[in-house]
Amino acid sequence: MSSETAQAAAGGSVESKGLKSDALGLASATVIGVASTAPGYSLAATLGVVTAAGVGFKAPAIMWIAFLPMACIASAFYYLNRADPDCGTNFSWVTRSIGPRWGWMGGWSSMVADLIIMPSLAAIAASYTLSLFGLHSQADNLWWQLALGILFIMAMTWICVVGIELSARSQLILLGTELGVLVLFSVVALYKVWAGKIHGSVQPSISWLTPTNMGGAKALTEGMLAAVFIYWGWDTATSVNEECEDSSQTPGKAGVLSTFILVAIFVVVTFAAQAVQGPGYLSDNSSDVLSATGSIVFGTTGIGWFCLKLLVLAVLTSSAASCQTTILPAARTALSMAMHRAAPAKLGEVDPKRLTPAFSSWLYGVISCVWFTALTLLTRYQGGDVLTWSALGVGLMISYYYGQCGFACVIYYRRYLFKSVKNFFFVGLLPLIGGITLAFLFVYSLKDMTKSDYTDPAANWFGVNPVMVMGLGALLLGLPLMFWWNTHDHAFFRVRPDPIDTRPPPEGGDPLPALVEPGAPR
Amino acid sequence: MAGEVVLGYDGQHGSEVALRTATQIAAAFKRPLVIVFGYSPTLMGGDVGDLRRAVRELGEQFTEKAVADVKALDPSVEVEVQLVDLRPAEAVLEVARVRDALAIVIGATGEGPMKGALLGNVTYQVVHRSTRPVVVVPEPDED
Repeated sequence: MSSETAQAAAGGSVESKGLKSDALGLASATVIGVASTAPGYSLAATLGVVTAAGVGFKAPAIMWIAFLPMACIASAFYYLNRADPDCGTNFSWVTRSIGPRWGWMGGWSSMVADLIIMPSLAAIAASYTLSLFGLHSQADNLWWQLALGILFIMAMTWICVVGIELSARSQLILLGTELGVLVLFSVVALYKVWAGKIHGSVQPSISWLTPTNMGGAKALTEGMLAAVFIYWGWDTATSVNEECEDSSQTPGKAGVLSTFILVAIFVVVTFAAQAVQGPGYLSDNSSDVLSATGSIVFGTTGIGWFCLKLLVLAVLTSSAASCQTTILPAARTALSMAMHRAAPAKLGEVDPKRLTPAFSSWLYGVISCVWFTALTLLTRYQGGDVLTWSALGVGLMISYYYGQCGFACVIYYRRYLFKSVKNFFFVGLLPLIGGITLAFLFVYSLKDMTKSDYTDPAANWFGVNPVMVMGLGALLLGLPLMFWWNTHDHAFFRVRPDPIDTRPPPEGGDPLPALVEPGAPR
Repeated sequence: MAGEVVLGYDGQHGSEVALRTATQIAAAFKRPLVIVFGYSPTLMGGDVGDLRRAVRELGEQFTEKAVADVKALDPSVEVEVQLVDLRPAEAVLEVARVRDALAIVIGATGEGPMKGALLGNVTYQVVHRSTRPVVVVPEPDED
């Protein structure tokens, strides 16, 4: 323990903010980072979507390329979090650096991103639950899908509201099983392909990993759009790592460690999975890609059967973790916005018994169920599939709000960028590259979606691509809401971005003043 | 100073019952009572800043009432409040360790050991990880 902690505790003061945990060691910090990204679920949800984008055999390459802009943005997250650790949301960062209206849209877009991915989570949970119990005949049954999906969303919301939290050890066991079974899957798949034991397999090639001949700009951006989503949540590790402040080594190490684990697991599993039957098989079975490929790799009898069930179970626990790391930030962003008077006060209520933002969590859970039902019905009767649309739609949202964060970092620290090489590189250049890449991805994808051959020609709402309606529509819906709230309570919108005398340097500094003064008039 | 009685407090009925016992112990041994409220939310899901602040404000209200309750029960007991930026169980353990507490007093939750172990129940964690004696106070039947 630090001497500051000892003093704070022994000094007998009522205030003891100095007490910080250094119990959050390397393992825990890494676990939170990796678990927030939920590799099992991310792979289950995107493998088929990425291969369907028309990148041929280049899906493994897409997996690591998509990581690059995300890593750049992680640097922005890290430094913005240093300036404003007491808030720690994208919403308040953008407000401080660019202005309240952009900040409001930043908060809105991150909540909408969380909402757009919920149908994908619910659909994966439903189909892998059916797969776990061997109920394959029910897999296409609309009512089973809806019932299981809604049950899953509500159960996860309840867990977030009650504040049930797995102990560090249970989390480590779950995550260990998840990673272990994914590695096992890859190793067995590659061995069997190499030994010629799988009929219809494709001999792997190192060229699957090289960033050349990616099938054109359209395929590349569509693949990227689906793939940025797999790294979404990884930034949580950066902000959480700030929590283990006492040990100067742990934060950096945990960040680097979780990064390597994630990139390695995504690339290796994609590599192995497409060797089994080629990329076409993955896109044809996108809704249950890991259990379909897994049944070929492990077989359906004996020890193989057990491994297959373990794989399915790992995807399920991973979905549960991912669902929680989707509901929690959404509810917390709502709470943040309410606390800074950017949203109705009701959303900022903390349940006195559970100590969680219960109201905003339930509201979010219910809206998720409605959206899941609507999307499931729409895709059922209009063509297309839930996973593809959710992954691409959320890719749009992530590009928007992560990109915005990259620019926010550069604007916020603009006076410090040339103070040192380190600043220039990590606070300026990387966030800027990330921001520009994601902005390009956002604009190019939108432009691409206006063409009729995008993702699914059969699906067409009002003459426009449904993913675009969903993504851009949800984003733009924020504008009238923002203007409505502005007429209701103007206090937040009077916030001036970035007053020079209050801005701490990238090395950190005193806490920033509140965005909105307590008791400010409407 | 060392040898205080440390009370894990969350403002709920169980910890109000524990508060009575803690006050009695503090009075009997003539030791100060330290009321601990850990306000850090779970780090899963990120974006903890504003929630932490909101929970801390709740903690201030709760512990203010707790101090008044102790004074009403026994005005001679010296009371101190510690709002700690840790998860509830960590907060209690940390303060008890730093103060070399005489004992930790905490309310029972009535959950079984299996559930407690899996879900990281606060009482369960404190009982099993504390280096100090722990007094677990059950809620009386009539409630």
